[in-house]
Amino acid sequence: MTDRRTIGAPRLRREDYRLVTGQGRYLDDISIAGCLHAHFVRSPHAHARIRSIDIAAAQQAEGVAAIVGGRELAEWTTPLRMAPLIEGLRPVGFDTLPIDKVRFVGDPVLCIVATDRYLAEDAADLVAIDYEVLAAVADLDQAFAPGAALVDDELPDNLISQQSATVGDPGRYFAEGAMIVEASFRQQRQTHAPIETRGCCAIWDQGRRHLTMHIGNQVPHPYRTQLARRLKLSESQVTVISPDIGGGFGQKIALYREELTVAALARELKRPVRWREDRAENLIAASHAREDVVRTRVSVDGEGRILALELDIREDFGAYCFYPANYLARVVAMILSGPYRLSNYAYDIKVVLTNKCGNGPMRAPMAITSWVMDGTIEAIARKLSLDPIAVRRTNMLRATDLPYQMPTGLTLEDVTPSETLDRALEAFGIAEFRARQQADRARGIFRGVGLCCVVESTTYGSAFYKAAGIPGSGHESGWVKIEPSGAVNASVGLMASGQGYETTFAQVVADPLGVDPDDVQIHIGNTDTAPYGMGSRGARGGTAGGSVLLIASEALRDKVLTIATTLLGLNTSGELRLNNRRIERRLAGAWTDAGLSLADIAHVAYLDPLRLPVGMEPGLEAHRAYDPPPMTFSNATHICEVVVDVATGKVNLERYIVVEDCGTVLNPLIVRGQQQGAIAMGISGALLEEVVYDEHAQNRSGSFADYLLATAVEIPPIEVISQHTPNQKTPTGSKGMSEGGVMGATGALPSAVNDALAPFGVVAEAQPLSPMYIRSLLRSV
Amino acid sequence: MSALDPVPLLLNINGATRRLFAEPRRLLSDVLREDCGLTGLHVGCEHGVCGACTILLDGAPARACLMYAVQAQGHEITTIEAFDAGGELSVVQQALHEEHGLQCGFCTPGIVVTMEAWLAEHPDPTETEIRDALSGNLCRCTGYHNIVAAIVKAAARRREGRAT
Repeated sequence: MTDRRTIGAPRLRREDYRLVTGQGRYLDDISIAGCLHAHFVRSPHAHARIRSIDIAAAQQAEGVAAIVGGRELAEWTTPLRMAPLIEGLRPVGFDTLPIDKVRFVGDPVLCIVATDRYLAEDAADLVAIDYEVLAAVADLDQAFAPGAALVDDELPDNLISQQSATVGDPGRYFAEGAMIVEASFRQQRQTHAPIETRGCCAIWDQGRRHLTMHIGNQVPHPYRTQLARRLKLSESQVTVISPDIGGGFGQKIALYREELTVAALARELKRPVRWREDRAENLIAASHAREDVVRTRVSVDGEGRILALELDIREDFGAYCFYPANYLARVVAMILSGPYRLSNYAYDIKVVLTNKCGNGPMRAPMAITSWVMDGTIEAIARKLSLDPIAVRRTNMLRATDLPYQMPTGLTLEDVTPSETLDRALEAFGIAEFRARQQADRARGIFRGVGLCCVVESTTYGSAFYKAAGIPGSGHESGWVKIEPSGAVNASVGLMASGQGYETTFAQVVADPLGVDPDDVQIHIGNTDTAPYGMGSRGARGGTAGGSVLLIASEALRDKVLTIATTLLGLNTSGELRLNNRRIERRLAGAWTDAGLSLADIAHVAYLDPLRLPVGMEPGLEAHRAYDPPPMTFSNATHICEVVVDVATGKVNLERYIVVEDCGTVLNPLIVRGQQQGAIAMGISGALLEEVVYDEHAQNRSGSFADYLLATAVEIPPIEVISQHTPNQKTPTGSKGMSEGGVMGATGALPSAVNDALAPFGVVAEAQPLSPMYIRSLLRSV
Repeated sequence: MSALDPVPLLLNINGATRRLFAEPRRLLSDVLREDCGLTGLHVGCEHGVCGACTILLDGAPARACLMYAVQAQGHEITTIEAFDAGGELSVVQQALHEEHGLQCGFCTPGIVVTMEAWLAEHPDPTETEIRDALSGNLCRCTGYHNIVAAIVKAAARRREGRAT
């Protein structure tokens, strides 16, 4: 490996100029002449049969071009079929829009298309839908209850997925006389809440029979595959263009029913149709996430060493499966043990359908994992009256344990949990804190320290998907081209929604080519230009996308140097390199200019190909695909300090430090920003956010005044301390990051609150850690 | 004629007068974006909570989604498009860039407008005061850390009378 020149530099972002000046091109900023506007009429009921629909008056309303429902869409599109061959997962399917039955508050029933959004909404007031309201399944208990209403009439009950596994012999350790500790964790329903809501603009070119779909989507190619299939078009008849995206966080992956409806209408009406979701729709009907109840049971020895662990996960998946229902909880079970030794393990996962908005992956779909594991360790410490830090150390993997095969078969290597723990405790000043905590308790001030040790699964290779029973590939594709002038273009299948790919990937491509990153243009988000890749999800961008571009750029460098070898009349390229757009030759140990520029080589490659080495094809481009190792892990220790106001129940977060080891970084400035952002999302979720459904499954969280996101006041400064132990198996040495922050904050906050409330003998087992919840705990003693 | 019919509007936007027709019920945010092509302000919630649509009305921050365009007549409207006069970034814009104070950028124009106006009245703020002033603008990406750092830097530069 050569010395890195531009990889790892803290370069400022190239995206920023257009964004800070208001010249970004988010979906709704793209003006399309003659566009019609779609508005969806949604169910006010959680569960109801559609008896009849009267659209006569609405059809006569000003500006209305069409009103369509499930029956029309069933002719124009195919239903969604979610039926991967996974043991314990029931196959399901549903129509593009419901025909007979609605399943949650916000379920789209009709689409009204009019000349503007105001008129479409006016017409909605004139629609009359007669519903027969059915009993609703509002929570996990109701879903499991005998005789419960069926969310999906095609299934025998509401249990959509169940998986269990046993590794080793856990049963032996739960025999009579064993020391057993139990813990439970309830993570509330959340939603992604990107500040830009969903939306799309579909343009059907009747002459070419081609659909152009403008949409902010994280995975343009897989999205195109779905869109084409469900419109009964060929993939070559669909172009997906993702402009700037105002945040995704996992919400902008699936092909949603509204988008498919808009695309179908554009084709049927032969007019461009656009849709912009409003905030209430986004909160109620886009995609939700999380909502699990998790229980652990461990058998331990006198020092708190975990001898065996049983995990039980119950997840509320909502009404519709846009993803296989096993997917999110399964990852939690697969990576649960994280930085700790575990040999005897059993898990049982049950996922149910309820009459709520369907769930999907949200930044850190496995967010609850580290909370469950570290929370279990804290429960052990409480029961045995041990120091929770000591119990962590007793169970934690050390460098000599690596590589370590987790009980689920995944291999942990190049991780540094003990080192990050030590550094976090030192940076925090744990001894000083304990003294301050004691002194303050005497004054009625209740401080707590929260700790969470995270192992983040960042980049999923195809082998992991196969082993976990999750459909999909983990590979990513990229191309790099040097144009005849020497200009460099590159592309990758990922799509950015704030990650700064145009900056970091330019750094990656520039490195082998010896050019300035500013001379590399990254083209992403257009399926006609970009290669077919799996897109942006998880924390795969840097490791999967960065790696494939490095590999492609190195291949192109090799071609450039081979051409240079021929032009210079040399036998080998071994003593040549690219630097500052020039070919340099090593003579007597010193690099000297060889009299050729990159542009000279490009000129020959494209316009004077007879001078190329015999048999070499003209042009300078490299197209590569890369499938990462089965799983790449990074690790971190999060530590924070809170003060709980016991009179009001308010949790004040005063300090937050993370020590993270994500291997080689492409751009430390951007990596730190991703870590801070992930931690903030975790804090916001732990303290504030909750999609509230009442006992009738009516949604009570229709605005940002109800669904609370953390502001600059709730989030403290976030200190990031970096370690960079390279991963030996990835081409750049990167390990990935950007979801672990959510995992760490999700665990560190309850840890801190429980430490603060220790004098009261109460334990917070649920989130959000709202004033109401904290007060209810304190009232219980 | 009905109450819904478009009416003539005279708006003063970024120092220039614009004449257009718009229905009285049309939000200022929609008229600025769709009728005037000023798409730098973003519509994030239409409830006045997120702050992405913030403009200046007679120099003071206001939510363009919470008023009708007809109500803006007779007032001076300033949008994000006015803040990089002559291609030079404003102090806050430059500082946000240098401190990596934006990721997806959707909330950023609202933050630039809000904080430029606020710093003019609060030239020497504490970090706590900055966080309080920023709390009307939601950002889902950054965790605010770098935005606060940028405002600290911008305030210092303003006091020293320079842009960078």
